[in-house]
Amino acid sequence: MSAIGFIAIAAGIAALACGLAAIGMGLATSRAAEAIARQPEAAGKINSSLMFGLIMMETTAIYALLVSILLIFVLGAAA
Amino acid sequence: MIDLEVSIYPEYVALFGLRLPESAVIATAVVLLLVLGLVALNLFYIRRRFTAKPKGLQNLLELMVESLYNFAKGHVGDCAEFAAPFALTFMCYVFFTTFIEIFGLPPATEDLNCTIALGLCSFIMVNFTALKFRGLRGRLKNLASPSAVVFPIKVLTDCIAPFSMGIRLFANVLVGGVIMQLVYAVLPILLPAAVSSYFNVLHVGIQTFVFGLLFLTYTGEAVE
Repeated sequence: MSAIGFIAIAAGIAALACGLAAIGMGLATSRAAEAIARQPEAAGKINSSLMFGLIMMETTAIYALLVSILLIFVLGAAA
Repeated sequence: MIDLEVSIYPEYVALFGLRLPESAVIATAVVLLLVLGLVALNLFYIRRRFTAKPKGLQNLLELMVESLYNFAKGHVGDCAEFAAPFALTFMCYVFFTTFIEIFGLPPATEDLNCTIALGLCSFIMVNFTALKFRGLRGRLKNLASPSAVVFPIKVLTDCIAPFSMGIRLFANVLVGGVIMQLVYAVLPILLPAAVSSYFNVLHVGIQTFVFGLLFLTYTGEAVE
């Protein structure tokens, strides 16, 4: 297999983390929806803490995406 | 087989060369002029016409400032009066420098130097606020709570935070730009307009909000 093929596989594996982050986001959002259904008056506080958690999860996903993009455009261009 | 011609701007690929791209500097200058113009408009036109019963632009301004102060109060408590203006400054800068992408100018936040500098500015402000309101003793005590064992870990977390903030903003804007270019390469008519309404408008708003939220959260952690 050529170097470019290996780079493509590596980029795909790196982007897997985005899917994992999506699972985490889904879990957090479902729990937040349950919590709001149970205590609608606490919706504001639940929303803001959910937002913070989502940002943290999204950060890891974005890092993975960045790694994958750098693999493709920097390493791939060099290979 | 579609032949994709996607290129991240060549200036930006040299991430670790720390070269200041001309385009980003121009974009920042344009944005600064725009913001200064808005401030002057506010000072000399809108503020002069302030009335007890708000109407028009005054309504919008008061809504913005008041909701930000309330938002800050929930995160940083008694330091809200001091921290909220800084949060709004950061948010204005991030919003305008990213939003100009819609006019065809390269966004300054698509440059790692710019976002890391923003992160370092916020780091300085977080520590300044904590030292101003809690003093050196309070700050050290905050870092050493609940026990002295966590002190190095907390210091490390605080020192990494600005880089995390910078890199996430940079990556978000970069990824938006790359996806837009992919869309342009696949179907240059109609579809980019729809996708652009998310990546150039809504996405920018979310990133701005996130930057302000992170700044206020870190400040809140430092002064709690």
